[in-house]
Amino acid sequence: MGNLSAVGLSGGRKKGRHGLLEQIKKNRCIYLFMAVSLGWYLLFCYGPMYGLLLAFKDFNASKGILMSPFVGLKHYRELFQNAEFFEAFFNTLVISFSRLLVEFPAPIILALLLNELRDGPYKKTLQTIYTFPYFLSWVVVGSIVLNMLGSDGVVNNLLNMTGIGSQKFLADKSLFRPLLYITSIWKSAGWTSIIYLASMSAVSPELYEAATIDGANRLQRIRYVTLPCIRPTIVVMLLMAVGNTMNAGFDQIFNMYNPAVRSVSEILDTYIYRITFQTSGDFGFSTAVGLFKSVINFILLFAFDRLAKRMGEEGLF
Amino acid sequence: MAGKKRGKKRRQAPAQLVIGIFLGLLALLVVFPFYNAILASISTQKEFSLNPLMLFPKEPTLSPYTYLMEATNLMKGYGNTLFVLVLGVPFNMLVTVATGYAMARPAYPGKKLFVFLILFTMYFSGGMVPLYLLMKDLHLTNKLIGIVLLYGGNTFYAILIRNFFQSIPKELEESARMDGAGEFTLFFRILLPLTVPILVTVLLFFTVDRWNEWFNTMIMVRSSDKWTLQVILRNIVFTTLDDMASRVVSVEKTYYSLSLKMAAIVLTMAPVMVLYPFTQRFFMKGIMVGSVKG
Repeated sequence: MGNLSAVGLSGGRKKGRHGLLEQIKKNRCIYLFMAVSLGWYLLFCYGPMYGLLLAFKDFNASKGILMSPFVGLKHYRELFQNAEFFEAFFNTLVISFSRLLVEFPAPIILALLLNELRDGPYKKTLQTIYTFPYFLSWVVVGSIVLNMLGSDGVVNNLLNMTGIGSQKFLADKSLFRPLLYITSIWKSAGWTSIIYLASMSAVSPELYEAATIDGANRLQRIRYVTLPCIRPTIVVMLLMAVGNTMNAGFDQIFNMYNPAVRSVSEILDTYIYRITFQTSGDFGFSTAVGLFKSVINFILLFAFDRLAKRMGEEGLF
Repeated sequence: MAGKKRGKKRRQAPAQLVIGIFLGLLALLVVFPFYNAILASISTQKEFSLNPLMLFPKEPTLSPYTYLMEATNLMKGYGNTLFVLVLGVPFNMLVTVATGYAMARPAYPGKKLFVFLILFTMYFSGGMVPLYLLMKDLHLTNKLIGIVLLYGGNTFYAILIRNFFQSIPKELEESARMDGAGEFTLFFRILLPLTVPILVTVLLFFTVDRWNEWFNTMIMVRSSDKWTLQVILRNIVFTTLDDMASRVVSVEKTYYSLSLKMAAIVLTMAPVMVLYPFTQRFFMKGIMVGSVKG
């Protein structure tokens, strides 16, 4: 610092304080863009982060966030003795892990199949159909599913006709989680498969030709050419999925579950919503649960990113 | 796979056919729930329960639709959603493009901190309760304008835009500067027109996102006359049959609650359904153009 005479290569850039001011002046227009951006981000993204203080306070509406008294780790002591919280935490982990096992491979398989089809109107139509449900909200998709499986929905009408009689699908604890995975695949696999397809289209045709000359059949080409080539995409998608472990799909579950299946589908987010907005809320306690969730998520993401990098992948950061 | 030998083609044809048929059946599985929703919305209860797999009802009726339009606030919901859309999407674009552009510029003092602050929000957030309290403190609850302001920048889309700006050749900028273009001329006249393809993509994504917004409206907005379409749909679908029935009595006409609910679903998704085939390529471009990697 302070070496004022040092002249950089690009347009006589000077180091030190004088140079800094000059740099700021030179880029003053950028700071206008930055101000527009930061104005919103600081208020609506970092503003709530300040509210996280509540996790260590007893919230008193009349005193506000700042003036409410500190209670240290009181909420966390309560939290770790709360059976409902543990149930939600457990469900979150189980559902997220199952999603990785069941839902994650679905778009890859779909993309591999689509990749075998020749380009043309048929393939295009299929893609339009597959990708469409992604653009609907879970309110819409959840509503369709509930109505189809409900007492006067198409499935029970069919069962009534065949004499089996109507079933209470939506209240069945053993069916509810599979229902979550199936509907989620139905909604999103098509869209996600496009990401993999894009990655597959970048694979050099020469690799396939060389593999064919070497006598590789269809499956072998997929195993030894396609999959290794799209590996970086798979890893990034996997990291993002892991980064969502603590979320487990609030939108979907909230729009599909009911008290009868709550014990197998209550996740941390639905639990936070319920204790905050449905039973009279203790905002300090709810914030503490939310913070717990965010921190675990953050740690998981970083740990897996490190792991991926150690295994020679690119990672997220 | 373009380079297929003619001899190979014959051997591979069956496999391709099998895959084609299988994928076709999958497509039918995707379409069926939509078809069923539309069907149930225009059928009478009797016909639908006796013949749930019919292709088209013998006595189609639009009465659920007229009922929804007259007796519920669904139309009001359309208006509220449009309000959020018309004000919200331009605001989204403003903040997101500014973010993307500021992230794309070559090094300037403070850039590193700025980029860190933006990217950090992708991995950590204050959560539901602090956001609610903040909105309350700002006196933005129970107001649609609150929902508009709540959604500003989207970091994923900002990264897409940043990548696009960065892919523009440096020479273009240098020659523009040589011709005496200032920062704003450079941005508005030279760079922004080049990014139109990605801007269209991001704009469409924002439009869908705002159309589908329900959670924050549900939390922040108490009065039902300010609810957006999705919240009203949720309300209709989750309203118990008893409530429906009591309303039905008051109109002195028998309505079939499944038809009503399915009709509400159809009305909510119809715009997306109609517009999607024409806009699909823009959405896909979002994926092709750049990865969402930070």
